[in-house]
Amino acid sequence: MSVQLLDRELDRLEGLWSDGLADAYRDYLDAVQHFEPDLQAKLALAAALIELGIRLQGLGGRAAPPTTLLMGDLCLARGSRILADNAPLAVQVAFARAVESMSTAAASEQPAPPARNLLRLSLGAEG
Amino acid sequence: MSATRLEFATSEATEFIDLTDRIRERVMQAGLRTGRVHLQSLHTTVGLCVNENEPLLHRDFEAMLERIAPIGAGYEHDDFTRRFDIAVDEPVNGHAHCRQLLLSAFLTLLVEEGQLVLGRWQSVFAVELDGPRHRELALQVEGEFARPLSREVPESLVEVELTRQLMVDPEPVAVPMRRLVEAGGKRLRPKLVQLTAGIGPRNDPLRAAELAAAVELLHNATLIHDDYVDESTHRRGRPTVAAAEGPERAIAVGDYYFAKATRLIAEMGNPAVTSALAEALEAICASQIDDVALRGAYPGDRESYLRVVRGKTASLFAAACASGALLSEASPDVVGALRRYGDLLGTAFQMADDMVDFSPSSGKPVGLDIRQRVLSLPLIYAAEDRQVGPEVRRLLEGALGDAEVGRVTELVTASGALPRVRQEADALIDAAVRELEAVQLDGLRPTLVGLARSAVDRNS
Repeated sequence: MSVQLLDRELDRLEGLWSDGLADAYRDYLDAVQHFEPDLQAKLALAAALIELGIRLQGLGGRAAPPTTLLMGDLCLARGSRILADNAPLAVQVAFARAVESMSTAAASEQPAPPARNLLRLSLGAEG
Repeated sequence: MSATRLEFATSEATEFIDLTDRIRERVMQAGLRTGRVHLQSLHTTVGLCVNENEPLLHRDFEAMLERIAPIGAGYEHDDFTRRFDIAVDEPVNGHAHCRQLLLSAFLTLLVEEGQLVLGRWQSVFAVELDGPRHRELALQVEGEFARPLSREVPESLVEVELTRQLMVDPEPVAVPMRRLVEAGGKRLRPKLVQLTAGIGPRNDPLRAAELAAAVELLHNATLIHDDYVDESTHRRGRPTVAAAEGPERAIAVGDYYFAKATRLIAEMGNPAVTSALAEALEAICASQIDDVALRGAYPGDRESYLRVVRGKTASLFAAACASGALLSEASPDVVGALRRYGDLLGTAFQMADDMVDFSPSSGKPVGLDIRQRVLSLPLIYAAEDRQVGPEVRRLLEGALGDAEVGRVTELVTASGALPRVRQEADALIDAAVRELEAVQLDGLRPTLVGLARSAVDRNS
């Protein structure tokens, strides 16, 4: 991923890069190989942001304190915006459905499948 | 066909009232493209005419009327001894009735391409002949309309769509959201979507309602998380999700509807709409972080306030306006103008909302924003005030109990901050209205202007 893209998309979230975001991003890179080269980094980053956002919020576990929740919200929103600008419709919808299912499980106090598995599957969604 | 009344008050015995702009406005409101406007005086001493709006000429007309039908020239109508059923306030006005005979009680004006057909020097006048009085004209427009006569948005479609969406959701998330949705709210954002979705060539009310409902769900999702962050116990008169069901449930419900709204928007298949709303959501989240950070330096300054409000509130107003217009495939200049209109309106709306916190008649608890240390422009201005500022700042530095909140409220009210904020909000609305002037909105302008004015004209 270009330094410029990273700078722009990690604005205000720089501290998270070394706090799990980089690892998640690298892992998702494997799941985006079927996309055009210029989209791969963006979509991997979007997935990593969404996964990290959910983790920061404490979704499905103990609620995060307010300031951490807000960071999680920003991760989710930015990941969602990157998807809106770059991902095919089917992938956008699959990501949304993944978050819906994890949220429903959390609200029902039921265990949810690991976020990474769901989001990797979402990257493979076809229209 | 549309039928209305045009009311006005006169202040002179004889007076020429120029109604041209008001008639133009009625034509626009009705959406008449080609046809006729009929005017009828509902009085026997008010005439109608088309002539030049030049004050000296009006004096010539008055002199002419006086020459032909002078006041007190022995009119039989004024001899009350020979008349029956005379009202106690019957005026001596035989001259006015005679003068009215020289004018007309009716007028028909032509409309082409949505504009009154008038010559360069022509204006439309009601002529008061026996004032001052309150007067009324009947006005009808007929012909070809660009849109249905009423520009009222079918708000019920949004409510149906919200109900429909909430019916299919799992109970653990749907129940708390239904409680919030059913508690009401102004629904300004969906209204903006619906209105602006009627501008472009692809005007589909059902699609507009779907988008409007998704925007309302997105807005409510952000409120659910906000309420947890702000430790709010009530919203719209009901317990917040966080207060009623705990923060874990609040986070889950907020996330669910954030994701669902995003999906519904994406499924509409218009990438520009999806991007516009995704950008707004990102701006809201970023500004919410700023908002909380600024509470360390409460009440902050105007510049920081505007930055937060533009992100936290105005961004979704702007995106609602832009997304509706984009959905209807309006031209880029229209989309841009509406986006700027929404941005200005959203900022003004927040200022008006801040003022409500100081209004005992608003129905909301006074001083709640102060208690929760929510960013507030009146408070910022009061804190900067030379006279009350030091005490306001001192109080805000300490614990805020009932007495302190009450005192801060008194100081803000006494400082002149509220009229200053009101003036600023009005100026923003004026600027928002100006944004609409340069683009073709197909009769929608008066509705958007009215909505903007009413958004800040609140109980403050």
